Amino acid sequence: MERLINIDRRIIFVFVFLGVAIPLLVDIHLPIKPTPTVRSVYDEIERISIEDPDRPVLVSFSYGASTVPEMVPMTRAILRHLFSRGRKVVGICLWPEAVGIAQPIMDELAAEFGMKYGTDYAFLGYKPGQHAVVLNLGQSVAGTFPFDTAGTAIGDLPVLDGAKNLKDFSLVFDFAAGDSMEFWWIPFGQEKHRFPFAGGCTAVMAPDLYPFLQSKQLVGLLGGLAGAAEYETIIGVPGSATAGMEPQSVTHLIIILFILLGNTVYFITRRRGGTV
Amino acid sequence: MLFLTRTLPFLFCFVFGVTSWIIYYVPHEYAQTIEREFALWLRLVFAFAYVLGLVSLLSLHWAKIRQRQAGWAYSLIVYISFGVMMLFVVYNDGNGPFAPQETTGPYQWTFINVHVASSATMFSLLAFFISSAAYRTFRARTPEAAILLVSAIIVMLGRVPIGAYISDVIPEAMQWLMSVPNMAAKRGILLGVSLGAIATSLRIIFGIERSYLGGGDD
Repeated sequence: MERLINIDRRIIFVFVFLGVAIPLLVDIHLPIKPTPTVRSVYDEIERISIEDPDRPVLVSFSYGASTVPEMVPMTRAILRHLFSRGRKVVGICLWPEAVGIAQPIMDELAAEFGMKYGTDYAFLGYKPGQHAVVLNLGQSVAGTFPFDTAGTAIGDLPVLDGAKNLKDFSLVFDFAAGDSMEFWWIPFGQEKHRFPFAGGCTAVMAPDLYPFLQSKQLVGLLGGLAGAAEYETIIGVPGSATAGMEPQSVTHLIIILFILLGNTVYFITRRRGGTV
Repeated sequence: MLFLTRTLPFLFCFVFGVTSWIIYYVPHEYAQTIEREFALWLRLVFAFAYVLGLVSLLSLHWAKIRQRQAGWAYSLIVYISFGVMMLFVVYNDGNGPFAPQETTGPYQWTFINVHVASSATMFSLLAFFISSAAYRTFRARTPEAAILLVSAIIVMLGRVPIGAYISDVIPEAMQWLMSVPNMAAKRGILLGVSLGAIATSLRIIFGIERSYLGGGDD
């Protein structure tokens, strides 16, 4: 029992490694069932595509390099859905690192769906200021982002015709690896100007955002790689998130088994009068 | 001197704090103009904070290199990496520093293949440490801990497809846990944090809390 309690952590690391590596090599098909919070995002994009097709969608990228494996699959899934419905998309960044990550993805997916830069989509880049940027956007998009990343004046981008402030977007979507949704977008944007707002975040942040789902300040939410996989399932285009669900499933199972083993050892040792 | 170091900063804090508070709720044109200007100034402060952060980072690592402190070689890597990335930014895939930054070329390549790859790897290592920590510390020592343990297992299974594969009840139970007990707890925490933040803000705005000015309470 003593050896089991003080198990070398490298043994656990090996199990976790195998739990990730083997499902990547062996195809284990597991069905993915979308949750209501993810389904709501899809339904909202479908709704605005029918009821409000002319106004653009504002997509905010608030994540950096460390969360790329979790955030990029959902970025691709959401942009793919928007472009497939012919939605005009305007991208901005509230994290400096996001520019180099998001812009190539937007360009790639726009090209895939034949979207033209300037007319169908635009990328305005990064501005420092976090919630101050959201405050300024609430009053004037052109005043906050006078130029796109290529140096083109906002007035010369037809995609932004009529989009003077946040209320002029049919939907605002934030990809968040930090607290941008609950501390920047909701208090200084959505709550002040009342526009449809949805988001995608890392798995660890998702539980924090459930109060905003119930209050309808958030239309829907994609939480982590699982949320991205659910979205890929809904739109019918499996990607890296769907592929990642099998290793994640097995790894979760391994961690649960280790927790159960740890507790079994704990109770046996305690029954024998030992201390753990 | 006391006026410059204590009274003036306090007056700034009071005036800007109260004004920002009021104009948030006032939709009048004048209030909106003030809000726009305040937000612009705030963004300037943020931009300068990056410069300050950069100077601080480079100074810290320069001191480590100069004094040959433990791990000074890592500080050297900071300087080399910073220099290389700066060169790539200035080169800008052949377009020079004054053209809009290109999304191709050595800067973008290094960013994606070195910075993103290494940052994501560091973050991913958490899975290994969390697994080890969960095995050692996640014990059902009390009834409350047992409830937490069972909830955690349901959420861990319910969040991934294997949960639905085992039983359809698991994802539904996970959804209930997230939407009801989790949401109630998170809402309580959020309200508590917000009330605390409001109280602290008021103390700062009205000069009750002055530690941000430095030099003690006197």
